Amino acid sequence: MSNSAAGTSSKTRAASSQPSEPSSKRRRGVFQRELQHMMYGFGDDPNPLPESVALLDDIVVEYITELVHKAQDIGSQRGKLSVEDFLYLIRKDAPKLNRCTELLSMNEELKQARKLFDHDEENLKKAYDDDTADG
Amino acid sequence: MKQSKDPFEAAFEESPPESPIETEPDPDADTEIPISNSLISQPIHTNEEDNHVKNTTSINTAITTKNNNKDDEEDEEEDNMDVELAKFPTAGDPHKMAKMQAILSQFTEEQMSRYESFRRAGFQKANMKRLLASITGSQKISIPITIAVSGIAKVFVGEVVETARTIMKERKESGPIRPCHLREAHRRLKLEGKIFKRTTSRLF
Repeated sequence: MSNSAAGTSSKTRAASSQPSEPSSKRRRGVFQRELQHMMYGFGDDPNPLPESVALLDDIVVEYITELVHKAQDIGSQRGKLSVEDFLYLIRKDAPKLNRCTELLSMNEELKQARKLFDHDEENLKKAYDDDTADG
Repeated sequence: MKQSKDPFEAAFEESPPESPIETEPDPDADTEIPISNSLISQPIHTNEEDNHVKNTTSINTAITTKNNNKDDEEDEEEDNMDVELAKFPTAGDPHKMAKMQAILSQFTEEQMSRYESFRRAGFQKANMKRLLASITGSQKISIPITIAVSGIAKVFVGEVVETARTIMKERKESGPIRPCHLREAHRRLKLEGKIFKRTTSRLF
């Protein structure tokens, strides 16, 4: 068990070659509060152990780091990170892919709805201004 | 009561949302049981139906842990539960909606609280943005990328936690998840290939 722990932490340190939070101690607080609720939602105790939360925090950060590095490798030709890179990386993983596409399409819907709402508001305002100008 | 929008909807706003999760213990938790009936009248969010694996597993996990958990420390607040579950973005599938209604109506209080946590929990957009910026080294991370990575990470957490629970059942242990379970779960997911390896090809 200690081997995998050492392996995980060394991987985290190796992966974060970018100038970022230097000490691994600060990383523990990155997702702590949200992770507690998430772990409870997925089946853990209502009060998860702090060391479990810390370990899961490190695991998630390492996973995201790997994901982003791979996406950068893929999208390096374009020079910029794009969502398609991530979608390509998780193509084999059905739950993640479905969840991602669903979230993105909901985001699009919300954007459209908001645009429509602003547009309607503008029209209403214009109509009101015209009325007051005529009267 | 005037409440913030559904956290999923709020999370997609341009401006970062306030965290909808509060950790104050709710003394009125017992009075929230009849909420499930009022929820049924609202269109049901079929978010989980698309991920059949995740949905079934999470509900089974909830039922399993209901039998395992003997402690009653329910710190989750349930004030916003009816509002949160009521404002589903409609997917417009009547079959799935009916299925979800049937399932939700039979939830016990603990299951409902756990389901609420499952739905509401999510990574903060600001934190995720900062983390992504520090990893990539560039300052501009677009919003869709943040949303996508948050979703991926949440599903990943779910996989790890559920695998850890399965391991605990195999070892016939109970109580909170311990780091050894998480490490074993991580190792198993790696064997399945769900976790990206550092180097793609090794000699042996």
